[in-house]
Amino acid sequence: MEGSEAIAEAAVVAGCRFFAGYPMTPFTEVLEHFAVKLPKVGGVCINAESELEAVGMAWGAVATGNRAATGSTGQGLSLMQESFSEITMAELPIVLFNIARGQYDYYQSTRGGGHGDYRQIVLAPMDVTEAVEHCQLAFWLAEKWRNPVLFMGDYLLTHTYEAVEVTEIDYGPVPDKPWAVDGSSSGTLDAKLVSSLGFDKVGRPHVGPQAHWLRLAEKWAVMREQEQRSETAFCDDAEVIVVAFGTLAKFVRYVVKELRAEGHRVGYVRPITLWPFPEPAVAAAASGSHVRTVAVLENNAGQMIDDVRLSVLGRCPVVAIGGISTDGSGFGMGALLDPAVVRERILSALEPVSA
Amino acid sequence: MLTGIGGQGVQLAAQVIARAATLEGRGVMFFGVYGGMMRGGNTDSTVVVSDGTLDAPPIIAKTWSAIAMHHEFWEPTRAKLRDGAVLLVNSTLFEAEIDRDRYRVFEVPVTTLAATTVGNLLAASMVMTGAYVAITGLVGLESAVEAMRGSIPSYRQQHIEMNERAIRLGHESVEALAAPAWQSTGAPV
Repeated sequence: MEGSEAIAEAAVVAGCRFFAGYPMTPFTEVLEHFAVKLPKVGGVCINAESELEAVGMAWGAVATGNRAATGSTGQGLSLMQESFSEITMAELPIVLFNIARGQYDYYQSTRGGGHGDYRQIVLAPMDVTEAVEHCQLAFWLAEKWRNPVLFMGDYLLTHTYEAVEVTEIDYGPVPDKPWAVDGSSSGTLDAKLVSSLGFDKVGRPHVGPQAHWLRLAEKWAVMREQEQRSETAFCDDAEVIVVAFGTLAKFVRYVVKELRAEGHRVGYVRPITLWPFPEPAVAAAASGSHVRTVAVLENNAGQMIDDVRLSVLGRCPVVAIGGISTDGSGFGMGALLDPAVVRERILSALEPVSA
Repeated sequence: MLTGIGGQGVQLAAQVIARAATLEGRGVMFFGVYGGMMRGGNTDSTVVVSDGTLDAPPIIAKTWSAIAMHHEFWEPTRAKLRDGAVLLVNSTLFEAEIDRDRYRVFEVPVTTLAATTVGNLLAASMVMTGAYVAITGLVGLESAVEAMRGSIPSYRQQHIEMNERAIRLGHESVEALAAPAWQSTGAPV
């Protein structure tokens, strides 16, 4: 199954019943597969007039208590940032898909381009098999925390075919949704308001922005502790630790395994959640007594390297071994996506530093 | 790896080989890249097949074998050929120089075979698929035919019969297992 189809299938299996988006390479096929699959299960997929309309529609759908999602490439998500801020502050469990061009949207995903204090969980699968899992995890985490979750994919992930079976994963129960604007009053005999400011309908008691925003900040502090995910391998006696995420990390795992078999002392940490960033895992790997360098391989001019530096906190030098690498179309499919090139880059970090 | 010009059926051929290997229980990954044009642009594809689970990423450093439907965009594929790589060339159209001492080259005039014997030159990539399957034994002929049936979209079902003839023709037109992909033990070569 193609990655884009597996993603849509996994979302449907996870209970997603509404999707709205506007086509843009390499996201378009995800939208197409939602358009085929959702009507068959009584769901709705809308090819919106623009990204602004798409996010607005998905916002409305998720406010009714249904599982809903939107997405685009980073370019399209740029247009949706204002809504993401408001949706997050209103605690609506929307799932967002960024089928990015290369890895140029790390900042956008982890910092966000919208206003205010807000955080969203970011999942970065390395292959189609993991994408099927993360897609379902995203809908569950969103409802668990009443918070948006962003699924970070790319061209390679969505256009690779893998033999996968999309079966339902039971992550456990999620909280009820008394807040859902679903036509009922949830026993209050009154209308409901889903507010990003902590307000309620005029004349009703409400907590207001101070208490609302403070509670959200406390929620994110707990999420930061509890939702970090990462994979660490070969770090015990490593001299060089490679940090990479997403599809590029799949190349790193493969090459590091190869280099280990040849006797090179190299290990890797793969952040699976980009927010919360697995700071303790990176710090632990960088604290090994043999570690000389932490090498960051990302397909951009250097974004995740900031989070790696904030994790390593000066324990050892942090160097960039990735960089901008794209094709003629700008989809991020450049020369870096080659095990031979990744191998050279890692070997360069392994070379002893001259005095 | 497979390379050619958009419209030659390179992505379909890759999908058929990948799907056939999946039917035979192999670990399989398949990734295609093509230009913005429907026809005439670059198109190439990588199929990774394993006798166990796959660790490899979908883009590889070196390839054991390749199919070249045309020379126009073939350089990136050529650069990834291992020494001794099995190379199937569409000799009707392919005009670039090939280092015959370095690779095991099989020339198959698939566009001609498709146009004359099958009766539709659009079936060239299926003739090539049949030839590749015969020469390498990467997958069985019947798996390839079944995989083709599963790869044709619902609105193109009328081409299934022709494609099957094309695969079988390609299979007959070359020497079987001239360059096997698997050892007699079942492990990859």
